[in-house]
Amino acid sequence: MKRLSQRAALATAIAAAIGFAQAQAPAPAPAAPAPPPAWKQGQPKSMADSKLAPHAGKMTETPVSEIPVDKLKVPAGFKVEIWASGMPGVRHMTRGDKGKVYAGTRGIGRVYEITDKDGKRSSRIVVDKLTQPNGVAFKDGSLYVIAIGKALRYDKIEDNPAAQPVDLTDKFALGTEQHHQWKFIAFGPDKKLYVPMGSPCNICEPPATHGQIRRYNPDGSGMEVVAKGVRNSVGFDWHPKTGELWFTDNGRDWAGDAKFDDELNRVSKVGENFGFPYCHSMGTPDPEIKKADACKGVTKPVLSMGEHTAALGMRFYTGAMFPAEYKDQAFVARRGSWNRTKLNGYDVLTVKTGTDGKGAKATPFLTGFMDAKTNTFWGRPVDVMQMPDGALLVADEQVGAIYRISYAKKADAKDAKKKA
Amino acid sequence: MIVAAVLAVAACEACHGPGGNSETAGTPSIAGQPETFLVNQLIFFREELRASPVMQPLAKGMSDQQAIELARHFSKSPARSIATGPADAKLRKRGRDLATEMRCGQCHLPNYRGRAQMPRLAAQREDYLAEALRAYRDNKRTGADTTMAGVLYGVSDPDIAALAHFLSRLR
Repeated sequence: MKRLSQRAALATAIAAAIGFAQAQAPAPAPAAPAPPPAWKQGQPKSMADSKLAPHAGKMTETPVSEIPVDKLKVPAGFKVEIWASGMPGVRHMTRGDKGKVYAGTRGIGRVYEITDKDGKRSSRIVVDKLTQPNGVAFKDGSLYVIAIGKALRYDKIEDNPAAQPVDLTDKFALGTEQHHQWKFIAFGPDKKLYVPMGSPCNICEPPATHGQIRRYNPDGSGMEVVAKGVRNSVGFDWHPKTGELWFTDNGRDWAGDAKFDDELNRVSKVGENFGFPYCHSMGTPDPEIKKADACKGVTKPVLSMGEHTAALGMRFYTGAMFPAEYKDQAFVARRGSWNRTKLNGYDVLTVKTGTDGKGAKATPFLTGFMDAKTNTFWGRPVDVMQMPDGALLVADEQVGAIYRISYAKKADAKDAKKKA
Repeated sequence: MIVAAVLAVAACEACHGPGGNSETAGTPSIAGQPETFLVNQLIFFREELRASPVMQPLAKGMSDQQAIELARHFSKSPARSIATGPADAKLRKRGRDLATEMRCGQCHLPNYRGRAQMPRLAAQREDYLAEALRAYRDNKRTGADTTMAGVLYGVSDPDIAALAHFLSRLR
């Protein structure tokens, strides 16, 4: 073995000398004894031969002609169209004070800015070369971007496309972990920036700094933990009536098709515990990470979002365009499963609920991204965002496009039906 | 294939070897890699998301279509193992056991030939495999997601050497 590593070192040295080596030089192994690799954790023997793996995203542009938008289905009276496209990996969205829309990505490392002018959308890249800059939020003229290992603020970006970022990385101090650290971020009604700290594993006892949702002052000071026992939340909003935080959470993998559910949760007091890693879904203890009274003191979800569905972006609807029954109800984007033999999710749900979440019920709102018969999919909705006119934008990461869902008044809807 | 594409393929082969089977230390084989994996890497180099003083300038300004065409070409080229020395039976067994235990085959398939965004490991150069695994472990390389950082969390250098030894000698 010694002989080999010497040879490898020699090869590396030669390669470096002639300029062919990668920039990253081999680093010494971590000093502290490390926990077992995260991926392995929680994989029962029965799943050892499983070939389930994350689906490939798409790093290249998808032309409009290759987006089968006609396959998408919405309830009667609603209409879905492509609003913007040509933005590989587009994910979570926010809207500037002057109407520009900003969207983060993961693999491709970009943040897009979309301008809507004269009924047409154009996009540009605000920043690239970041590690999974999923989190974008807008407040008082400034765009906040949080990537893995980076927090940036762009002041007056809507007026000045060349605005240089203020680096807030050290202020937010979000750690050096990578797994589950792509963030959804948003400003609450308390004007604080809410930032999740996902558990850096599938299933493990996360470090005390992780498995939570935090809030900060906009400058990164005043950190406070708002929710604990959270596996990985990548979407949240505040109830329009109560101002309470509601969030989606992704359930653990490698426990079979029927386990575990993704969740829609409601935070009724600061610091509430949502159970991870000991207690999942509606009160099921984890099969591996065991603790007495695993579900004691744990707040149960408002509603299951289905097994392995990747329930991500969620927002309450407050607009005037959709029928009154949608007012103050939630929309949830489900990116769709990978750790399940039968695909699940790949849609946007409406969650009809009161302010306390009791009796909440989910119904499909936007479907057609997946074909259950062939167990295949073509699109993956990640986020939903209401526009000032009350239309709903839906970001599709797989084809790099944003859809607009609008509602025509009843008379128009009838006409449309007749024509069809 | 148009002239530009033929030239581009020749340019790749100058370093990555005939048909994309690398005979150069530290330079990976690209023959028989899944098309999506190769497209992704070219985009990562173009976007300067993957570090390489050689590949970043070469991928600069490359169109999506060019990346797709090159990837398609090399994905169809047969891979052959370029072992740099005789197999060490003990090391090879250790590598095989580790690969099984770490469930590499779940994503990379039981024959380790890869699929979609997940690369072929079988027959890849031993030195390159070890270097790539260390880069993932040390958070110096991110793929389309962070899975590999999670997989290699805390894996030792000797274990990485064993994995590389085993995988590079597969077909």
